[in-house]
Amino acid sequence: MRVSSAEETIQRLIFSLSELEQLGQTLISGHSNFNVSSKTYLRITLGTLQASGGAIYCFHPSDNHLTLAASTPESEMAPIEIEQTEVETLLECSLIALDTPPEPLQQFIDRNAELMDGNVKHQLWVPLKIHDEFLGILSLGGLFGRAKFEKWEQELLNILAHQISIAIAYSRIVEGIQSEKFRLFMLAESAPQICQLLQPEDAAEQVVHQAVALLDANVGGLMLIQQAQQKLELRYVFPPTLISENPGEDDKDALSIPLDSDTSEAKESDERTSLDMLAGVVKEGKTDRCFTKPDNLFGGRNLMAGPIQGRDGDILGVLVVGDKEERGGRTAEFTDEDEVLIDSFAKQAGVAIENAHLHQEALEARQLQTEMEEARKIQENLIPDTLPDIPGYEVAGHYEPRGPVGGDYFDCIELVAGGWGLAIADVSGKGMQAALLMATLRAGLLSELSSARGREHDHTLDMKNELIDMAMTLNSLLYVSGTEEKYATFFYSHLNPETDMLTTLNGGHNPPIIVKNGGSIVWLGEDVGGLPLGMFPNDMVPLIAKYEAEQTKLESGDLVIFYTDGVTETVNIDDEFYDEERLEQIAKNSHGGDAPSICNLIYESVMDFQGDADQFDDLTLLVLRKK
Amino acid sequence: MANKLDIQIRAERQYAVLETAGYLNDALGEKLSKKALELIEKGYTQLVINLDKTALINSIGISILIEIIEALEEREGTLNFCGLSATQERTFRMMAIAKYAGIFPDEKTAIANF
Repeated sequence: MRVSSAEETIQRLIFSLSELEQLGQTLISGHSNFNVSSKTYLRITLGTLQASGGAIYCFHPSDNHLTLAASTPESEMAPIEIEQTEVETLLECSLIALDTPPEPLQQFIDRNAELMDGNVKHQLWVPLKIHDEFLGILSLGGLFGRAKFEKWEQELLNILAHQISIAIAYSRIVEGIQSEKFRLFMLAESAPQICQLLQPEDAAEQVVHQAVALLDANVGGLMLIQQAQQKLELRYVFPPTLISENPGEDDKDALSIPLDSDTSEAKESDERTSLDMLAGVVKEGKTDRCFTKPDNLFGGRNLMAGPIQGRDGDILGVLVVGDKEERGGRTAEFTDEDEVLIDSFAKQAGVAIENAHLHQEALEARQLQTEMEEARKIQENLIPDTLPDIPGYEVAGHYEPRGPVGGDYFDCIELVAGGWGLAIADVSGKGMQAALLMATLRAGLLSELSSARGREHDHTLDMKNELIDMAMTLNSLLYVSGTEEKYATFFYSHLNPETDMLTTLNGGHNPPIIVKNGGSIVWLGEDVGGLPLGMFPNDMVPLIAKYEAEQTKLESGDLVIFYTDGVTETVNIDDEFYDEERLEQIAKNSHGGDAPSICNLIYESVMDFQGDADQFDDLTLLVLRKK
Repeated sequence: MANKLDIQIRAERQYAVLETAGYLNDALGEKLSKKALELIEKGYTQLVINLDKTALINSIGISILIEIIEALEEREGTLNFCGLSATQERTFRMMAIAKYAGIFPDEKTAIANF
């Protein structure tokens, strides 16, 4: 065994002072990260104390684990768990000889000595601490050339251990400041970024990504309220593979949460699930978190959720993050600061999501407006601008849609085979669908009229049957073209101006009025009305109300007024209907005028009656007068 | 963005490029750190980290990048980043990473600027 001479001691002291200076420089050099500088600290310590090997272990208070920061010779070690009582014992000690440790540490050493030793048998532990904060362990192997430390060496060891403790604490402080700086910057940076996104899907994705990064999470999701179904519906999840990885969660619908369940009772219970938590966040409008719950929502063992609010404070949904991580891959609990952070971020996210949805709605409205404009143009082409001259007759019409695209139709068509077809119809609904159904009806009608229909018939029965066949064809066409709610009331008249015979068929339409030259009134098709077109399939029509046709001979001065329910069902400010009686009266009063003036007179009468009340339906008039 | 974690290494004589794919969190960060430190141990002092396929970085990812910069500084080496999004570049400047490492638009420029 070597015995230190005084000269040797002085040389080692000088060397130690120089190494201590280097240690100080390492601390202030800007290399704050202990993961990087730990090897330097260990090397200086071992060199100064002439120890044959050693290691520095760092303590992680969030989950009471020790990890290896540096070792000589180099080795690897999985994190090891340490009990709180063992930490407390370490805090009470300054030097621990591993062959005679304090009793509370004996089990820990027995349990982990082999793991921690690496390739060198460790003999001495120095707890690393600042005041009562335990930071780790400096472990030393055998002393080079001597059995034990001199007193001054022990004091030097304490100084070195203190320097290492300061370095660990400093590294953590800097890391914490960097992390907070990063989070604050992300929070400030993310707001304008996500608010620029105009597609709701993009906004949802970015909101979740930013939240996951901001909160050091590993999973995240955005759920928005489906008001109609009173449920929370998943809009985006990170990572996207999460859903398919969860058995039974193979689509987004599986991750929807009904909002009508009572979560308040469950909240008091330990059985409260993350589903309860998310529904509760929406109901109460407050951030919440849960750790290790029985269900497996988002695959997260550790979830935190904040309410997404719109500008007016309405809850739009919930932003959820989970599996917060710490350096070293450890899962950490979300903190009170994290709650504040997600709350702030969720407020920005709410504005972004609302912006994106409003933009989407505006786009859809613009698209709808364009479509309506197209539909209006289509429909304008379906309604005749001018009506033809029928020999011996006057004809006039008026059409006024309620909105940009109406559901009424009228026409007066000269038939190739001779005679004239007068049609009026009211398609159910409004807008593009009604316009399309009307176009279908008109195309079907023109097709029918260009075929056999409309040829001159001497035989009354043949003409009636022709109209009934046509009605059945049109009924079938409209039935397959539309839905159950889509149908058209339809009145068709075939006029033979040579015989003045008017053959008519009513498909559920308002019965037209004939004002006879003498002033008497006849309601056409009132007793022989069939079903509206397209309401039932052809095989059901005869079972309910089959189509029938009738014939009327017109005489000089006779007036036929075809109209849609927009005339008789016009409502005034007292909620009264214009009704058939007023129409009958104005028709009688107008008798004697020509068709255009009668048409205008009836229209003016309806408008006067309506006054300041809203127009509720399209209004169509077709007037035929036998000169 | 699928979170498939991956690191591709292209080591040349004078430099090495580490290209990450996926969320730069602890898991990917530790992988990156290990690969970078291995390269440094082998004597590489000029490294490029290409983040083109990494859209998301958390605070642990940032701290690991700082760690790699410090490890390289100890060997008087240089680290250049490339493929950063505008937000990532602003973050790197704000976190002072840009003071100790170069930021370039693409790999070619990053390599040319050692």
